[in-house]
Amino acid sequence: MPAMDLYNMPGAPTTRAVKMTAKAVGVELNSKFINTMEGDQLKPEFVKINPQHTIPTLVDNGFAIWESRAIVVYLVEKYGKPDSPLYPKDPQKRALINQRLYFDMGTLFDSLAKYIFPLFRTGSLGDQESLDKFNSALELLNTFLEGQDYVAGSKLTVADLAILATVSTIEMIQFDLQKFPNVDRWYKNAQKVAPGWDENLEGIKQLKKFIEERAAAAAKQ
Amino acid sequence: MDFYYRPGSAPCRSVLMTAQALGVEFDKKVVINTRAGEQLKPEYLKINPQHTIPTLHDNGFALWESRAIMVYLVQKYGKDDKLYPKDVQKQALINQRLYFDMGTLYKSFADYYYPQIFFKKPADPESYKKIEVAFEFLNTFLEGQTYSAGEDYSLADIAFLSTVSTFDVAGFDFKRYSNVAKWYENAKKLTPGWEANWAGCLEFRKYFDN
Repeated sequence: MPAMDLYNMPGAPTTRAVKMTAKAVGVELNSKFINTMEGDQLKPEFVKINPQHTIPTLVDNGFAIWESRAIVVYLVEKYGKPDSPLYPKDPQKRALINQRLYFDMGTLFDSLAKYIFPLFRTGSLGDQESLDKFNSALELLNTFLEGQDYVAGSKLTVADLAILATVSTIEMIQFDLQKFPNVDRWYKNAQKVAPGWDENLEGIKQLKKFIEERAAAAAKQ
Repeated sequence: MDFYYRPGSAPCRSVLMTAQALGVEFDKKVVINTRAGEQLKPEYLKINPQHTIPTLHDNGFALWESRAIMVYLVQKYGKDDKLYPKDVQKQALINQRLYFDMGTLYKSFADYYYPQIFFKKPADPESYKKIEVAFEFLNTFLEGQTYSAGEDYSLADIAFLSTVSTFDVAGFDFKRYSNVAKWYENAKKLTPGWEANWAGCLEFRKYFDN
């Protein structure tokens, strides 16, 4: 079984997407912690590997690849079963998965980050505008999931794993998915069928604990 | 196969250049005036509920996100895999460049210029710095390379050509990134549909002139 290095931040959504996909294709990852809040990614050794110095970055026998959605596709293509349903060869099925991955990057994850990530910097969630945009993104996802069990058709794909990593970030805060019934249904099912869900949830809980400890420390000052 | 687009839109131009490179022709090309809200009409929402452009409609199969469309066109209609090789590593590199194009390079264009041209807001120096950071990265990717994703011309070069030409028409000085400047001149020559792309850029220019 191949083992490879994943430079990552354990709680980060994009890291969790890669970890679930690795689990799904049976690949072991050597987790190398890059604390981006401390600037670890700017150290020369890492910049040599990834000049864009982002995480997650996978190094597979000297081949370095970054961008989580490129990594998850790479893992399935390289280590998945032939014509794996996670990323099937059919151009149409593949295209739909790719559209969902770009939707995740450009719309869903982007809006989630703008709404939730301010917690790390300021201790508060984003403003109403950011919440509105996040709700709009979930509304679109809800539409994509109309009459579908999975985000890109009838089977679990890397698009589900990526979007699950994104959406599950709401476990850090109080957020009710019930106003998006298709998303709520999909989310409950995805937790049961996604490989590595437990580790994904654990990563989020660690992140939540980190925020709570920081808030407590700040309150003491 | 129908294509819904605007001539000035960078992601639409990426798809058009890809189609031209593959010798693919659309049966119908429909301009969707997004400034007039045409993308919100029920007929369009039925095809693309996310109401974005470009959208491809291939015999009942609707697809949006320009970079997903580019890959689909190569895989479905390409005579060979040159623009998007089957080799897993080569493909992964092109994919990383495509995500960089969307999430970092073109994003820096939108974040800096859109508020100015669409909402008449003043220029934001922080957003301008992000453009410079993005071009620094692209310049680094191109160090010692003729093409933007490995040894051969690929979809990554077409996507970057669309984005960089949009910066060009906006007046952003990227000539100081010497690898990018050199790559740009070469990519223009190699890309069928460059002329149409530049004509589209000049259409987009009108937003700046207002």
